[in-house]
Order: sequence, then C-alpha cells, then structure tokens
Amino acid sequence: MRFPTTPLLRTAILLVLALLASALLYPPQWYPLQLRFELGRLLGVPQDISGVETAASNSPATALPEEACPQDLPGWRQEQVIEGVSIAASLGCLPDNPYAIAAFVKGTNNVSTETLLLAGLAPDAVVKGADLDGDGDADEIHIRLEVVELNGGSPDSLEPTAQFEIAPGIKPALWVFAPKSFGMATENFESDQAMPLLRLPSPAIRVEQGDRVKVTLENTHYLPHTIHFHGVDHPWLDANGQGNDGVPISSEMPLLPGEARTYEFTPRNSGTLFYHCHVQPQAHVLMGLQGMFIIEEQRADNTLQTLNIGAGHVRVRSADSREHYDEEFDLHYTDIDSRLGSVVQSSNQPATIRQWIEGGYDLQTANSDLYTLNGRAFPYTFRESLLLTRPDSRNRLRVLNAGSQGVALHTHGHKARVTHYDGVELAPGASYLRDVFWIASGQRLDLTLSTHNDGIHSYGSGVWLLHDHQGRGVMNNGIAPGGNVSAIVYEEYLGDNGWPITYGEALGKFFDASFYTRAPEVEASWQLTPWLLIRLALLMLTLGLALACLLRLVMLVTENNSTRSGS
Amino acid sequence: MNTRIAGWKGLGFAALALLLAGLALAAEEAGDSHQAHARNPGHDGHQMQFDRQGMVMNSNSTELPLNCQQLTEDVHFTVYAGTAHAFSAGQVFGYSQHEFSVSPCSRVTVHLVNEDQVRHQWMLHGLPRYLYPQGMFHLEAAGGQTVMGSFIVPADAATYLVHCDITQHMEKGMKAQLLVGKGNGNLWSIPGVSENFLADQEQLPDRWLLWLAMAGILLLAVSLARWRVLQRLLQTEK
Repeated sequence: MRFPTTPLLRTAILLVLALLASALLYPPQWYPLQLRFELGRLLGVPQDISGVETAASNSPATALPEEACPQDLPGWRQEQVIEGVSIAASLGCLPDNPYAIAAFVKGTNNVSTETLLLAGLAPDAVVKGADLDGDGDADEIHIRLEVVELNGGSPDSLEPTAQFEIAPGIKPALWVFAPKSFGMATENFESDQAMPLLRLPSPAIRVEQGDRVKVTLENTHYLPHTIHFHGVDHPWLDANGQGNDGVPISSEMPLLPGEARTYEFTPRNSGTLFYHCHVQPQAHVLMGLQGMFIIEEQRADNTLQTLNIGAGHVRVRSADSREHYDEEFDLHYTDIDSRLGSVVQSSNQPATIRQWIEGGYDLQTANSDLYTLNGRAFPYTFRESLLLTRPDSRNRLRVLNAGSQGVALHTHGHKARVTHYDGVELAPGASYLRDVFWIASGQRLDLTLSTHNDGIHSYGSGVWLLHDHQGRGVMNNGIAPGGNVSAIVYEEYLGDNGWPITYGEALGKFFDASFYTRAPEVEASWQLTPWLLIRLALLMLTLGLALACLLRLVMLVTENNSTRSGS
Repeated sequence: MNTRIAGWKGLGFAALALLLAGLALAAEEAGDSHQAHARNPGHDGHQMQFDRQGMVMNSNSTELPLNCQQLTEDVHFTVYAGTAHAFSAGQVFGYSQHEFSVSPCSRVTVHLVNEDQVRHQWMLHGLPRYLYPQGMFHLEAAGGQTVMGSFIVPADAATYLVHCDITQHMEKGMKAQLLVGKGNGNLWSIPGVSENFLADQEQLPDRWLLWLAMAGILLLAVSLARWRVLQRLLQTEK
C-alpha cells in the first residue's frame, strides 16, 4: 500500500493518531465515575468490596488463618497468680500481658526485676507509695507516661517505623501516651512491629478516690505536648503555682521535647473520665493522644490495675466493681482521618510536620476514614475487644468516645442500662434501658449490661454484635465490615482457640490486607505523582499535535479554496 | 492487650535476666549501679544493670571475640545525649558525637550522660552473638542520669550502628556509627557524616500551577509543530 501523498490526507491521519494517543494518555482517574465503573467491570477489576457471600451456611464458619488468632503459647489467657496478684482469666485471642497487670496492681517499684522484664516496664513506670488512710491499699500513686509515635516515617526506609496495625494493612501515623518502658521500641531488632506497650489507645488509667496522684509526662516526642485531665478533679495550678490544667493558652507553656512535667491532684469524686494532650488539641487529640481516666470508689483493700494497656477487659477489678459486677470492660472509641498524620510518613522535618498538623491540615474538610474500638478496627477487634460473658451476669461497661464524630452505640440482643454520664451518676429513676446510646465527642457513659434472659435485658446466649449504628463507623477506609464492630460473646460460643463460633460467612478473608485496599479505579480522589505529571505532559504534547494538525487542515482547505477561487 | 510475640521478647529478656540474675539483683540492691559494676564483674565478664538510673545490657570487659588474640587498647568515650546536642536545625535529638573510631580488638567503655529529663539510649548492634545476646550492647540512661558499660570489638574492620531506639529518636538525630579500624563504609543519615537515604518527598506544585504548565506545554507543542505555518499565517496577514 502506498503512503498517502496528499497533504490533506496525511494531516487527517496524523490528527486521528494524535487524538487516539491523547485518549489513551488521558489519566484513567479522571474518567467519569460511570465510565470507570463500566471499565472496571469489563476489565475484571474486583468490584466485590461489599463482603457479601451468597452461599448459605448452617455450620460453624471456619477457615481462619493461623495468625488471626494465634495459640496462647505464653499461657496468658488463664486465671493466674503473679506476685501475689490474682489475675482473672481472659479467654479471647490476645489477652493482656499478666506480668504487666501484676506490675500495675502492685506498683513497678514493688515487683521483681524478672516481672518487670517480662512486662517491658521501667522500674518507675507506676510507683506506689504509702497507705495514707491505713485501709490496706497504697494512696500515693505516681505514673510516668512517655509520648510515642507509631507508624512514623524514617529518612532511611519507605516502611513506617514502630508499626501498629489498626486492621490488616492499615497503618496510619499515630501519637500515643505510653507507660515508661525500656529497651527497644520494636519487638526485636529484626522486627518493625511496635512492642505491645506502645499502642493505640493510650492506656486507660485507674486511681482511687482520694489518692494523691502524680502523673509525670516525659516528653520523648519531637513536638511539644501537655496533658489535660478532662473531667478529673484537679486544681488549675499546683501547690508551686505551676500550671496543672495542661492548656497552653491559659495555664502553662507546652512541654518541650526532652522535658518532663508532673501534674498533681487528689480527686474527690469517682467516675469515668478522660485525659488528652491540649497542645493544638484539634489535631493532637485526634492523632491518638487521648485515654480513659477512671476514678474508682474509695474502698478498703482496693486493688486497682493502675493502667489497662489497650483498654478492654479489666482483669484485676476494684473492690466496688467486685461488689456490684461480674466483669468490667473499658471501651474507648475514636475515629481517625489518616490524612492528618500522613505528613510524618512523608517528611522527616519537624518544622514541616508541625506546619501541617497545626494548620496546613484543614479540619473543616476532614473526613475520618478509620473508626476504632480500643485502638483496633474489625476484624482485629474480635481478637482483643470481645465482651466475653455468661448468662445472668452483670457487666460494667465504661465507654469513652474521644473521636471527632458521635457514636451511636448499638447492642445486638441486649438493652443496657445507662447509670452515669461523664462520671456523674444519674438521679434515681433517670437511668434507662436502651439498645442505642448516642455518645457525643468527648463524652463518657457507664453502662450496665445484664445478661439475664428476660427478653429485655438479654435475648439469650449467642454472638451478638456491638457497634456504632452509623454506617461510617463500621468501615475501614470506606470498606465494610470494619470499624468499631465488636461483639458480646457468651462463653458457650467461644471456641477453645479464643475465637467466637459464628454461623455466617467465613471471617478469614477479612484478615487479608487486600480486602481493605480500595481498587484505584474506584478511588475518587487523585494525587499528583511524578508518573501522572509525565503522563499529563505527554498528553499535552499529543493534544498539541492534534491541534496543530487541525490548524493545518483548516489552512490546507482554505488554501485550496483560495487557489480555486483565484484560478 | 498485647500480642504474644512480645511475650517472646519478654521471655528473651527474662532469660537473659535469669542468666545474669545474681548480678541484676546485686545491682538492684546496691542502688548505685556503678559500685555494682565495680564489685560484680560476673561470670563470662557480662554485667547487667536495670534500675531507676537506667539499664546496661551485655556489658563485657573481659571476654575477647574469637578473632582477637589480645586487647589492643582501652578507649573511653563520654557521650552527652539530649535535645541540646541536635546536630542541625532539622533535628531534635542528638549525641555530643555521632562518629566513634576505635582500633580492632579494643575495649570500648562508654559513659552515657543524659542531659534531658526523658530516657535516652546508646544502643550498638551487630556484635558477635556468641558474646552479646542479639548482637547488642545497650546503655539506657533515665532523665538526668549517667550509665556506663564496656564491650570488646572484634578484629575485622566494620561499621556498627549506634542509636537510640525510642520511637523517632534515631530518625530525628540520635544516630551514630562506630568504626572499627577503617570501618566498612558509612551508614546512611549519620548527622554530620552522611546524607539521608530518602529526601523529604518533594513538594508537588499546586493544582493551578499544574494547569498552567499543561497549557504551556500544549502551546509549545502547537507552535513547535506549526511554527512555519504560523509564520506563513502572519505573512498572509500582511
């Protein structure tokens, strides 16, 4: 075939080629949504992100990957006595380290070096002093907290440092308060997983009414921080006239990196309260610098687990809790916009990080994409935050919502009774039964969950979900099931391996990071990557070529016309 | 709630502690760890401290690595650690020196003086595991405290990583290297010695800049392709 010689035809062909190239170079992320959807279907991009399985099953769901619920090799689940402290059984997959619990109950100054080493705690993490009122328990409590960055960046690696997974593959940058520890921040030198004391949420703190409490913040982080004890009875200034409220714009200067400051108070009232950083709180609190602060009723021989790492099941309960309840659980809800902390993974410059966190990031346009219960999202909530119970028991739930969104907490199969709001007991007759509780941002609720099967308090044994009834709260990165979904599990429905016996779809697939990865074709937003820039430049070149061809075509036609008319 | 791998880490530490139990207890009771060190050289020459002053792990002042015939020299370093020693404005933490040079088979004694009010570490990795569990020598000083310990380096020229493993302390400047002999190259991102492996992710332009650039390229493409045509157009205009 001969190449067309007519300039007109040549230009037309070039025009078509240039247009074709432009169409191919046009970035797919800019296609209209409908087109992307259709293309995705045509090209076989996984669209099944709903998690729906059609096959019905009436036998227990199995096929759980090994790592989802590892064997209890160290023997942490069973009831045991360490350092003379009786620690209740906690039969879920990943119970709290009983050595750490023993150290928190007796004080890290009153246990053996071996226990401290097994707990990972510094000798002065929780120091318990004199029994001031002579009622059999220590009343001088000194807690030391450090500030830890999880999933942080590194100038030497693309992988985050001191990793903490909220759900499979989901590692947003976080700042948390952590008990003073020792040694490596990771599980070992080869590992990039944070050691277990370093995690979301910041530990739940428990003291007794009337205790002389000291909390020393040792700022190990590279930005300034403080602690504000929200709802906790504390003087605005301490005895030395130093700020004690943790608020930079009113009570004190922020605590700089490498510095330590001690907050002191003697709380007069009991209740479920809250503590958080108050430096640029709109951002620092949502980075994870938030925890539960519980003041237990004054009793003789009160045993308190001063810190509850990762909140959740309380294995050593207070005297009051033992009198009135069979089990106690700390439930700490929060939400995260992973965009907020993203800067610490892309920059190693504290100035750049601070600029973004404290202003560059616009909270007005924030959109939380992760919703956690006790620092994890489903399916990880099933390994460590199940409410394990048995018929006819009374369970005390202390609930904090420290996130930016409200939580509509729904109990399947149960109506719980709310007894306290923000640590204050409701008047007799004002306490009510409900199956959805609205918990505003920063609010605390004390719930009594009875498992008496009377058709109101409980509908009987089972694996009953416990979750935020708002759709966004049960998603990871917009994909369900995720978020703060957990469950109330009766002991007969708990397998020997610590995993609940369920009859629905197999849960193994949720332990795959790819399940919570959004297919890029479905991703609505786009980012300026170098590759996209090159693609756009090429697109403009081909478009330019097309335009030039068009121009030439027009010229040729007009020339032809003019020659024709001229002749 | 804790993951169980951590249990193993804990068990590892515990095993170590038991191995050195007498020493650990002696150090605890003695209160003053320096005295404990002096009085308890310990079997295998290993020493351990774990108290409110800090932690010393795998200190060894007597056992020679297999490829050393004898000690060549006794080196002492006093290292000051804290925010005051951040090497540059972009860093927050640092040591008074970020590079240490010693000759092969020398005994290195480090005094770690922590000038901050929070913990800091001087942790060295990569030593022979038959002498140093996990290949690690570890000094950790609580706020305002000083700890000291010794180790004996092997004969081969090598570069060892020294850092503080508290989250983000190494990343924000508490990273150093110890050269035995000539070493075997520099590690990345040693303050004052070597560059970062990764630069901060470059700031990409604002979107309006992108549109402008795209329009520019478009115009350029058109004009390059049709320069002569344009010229002719202009001429015809005349």
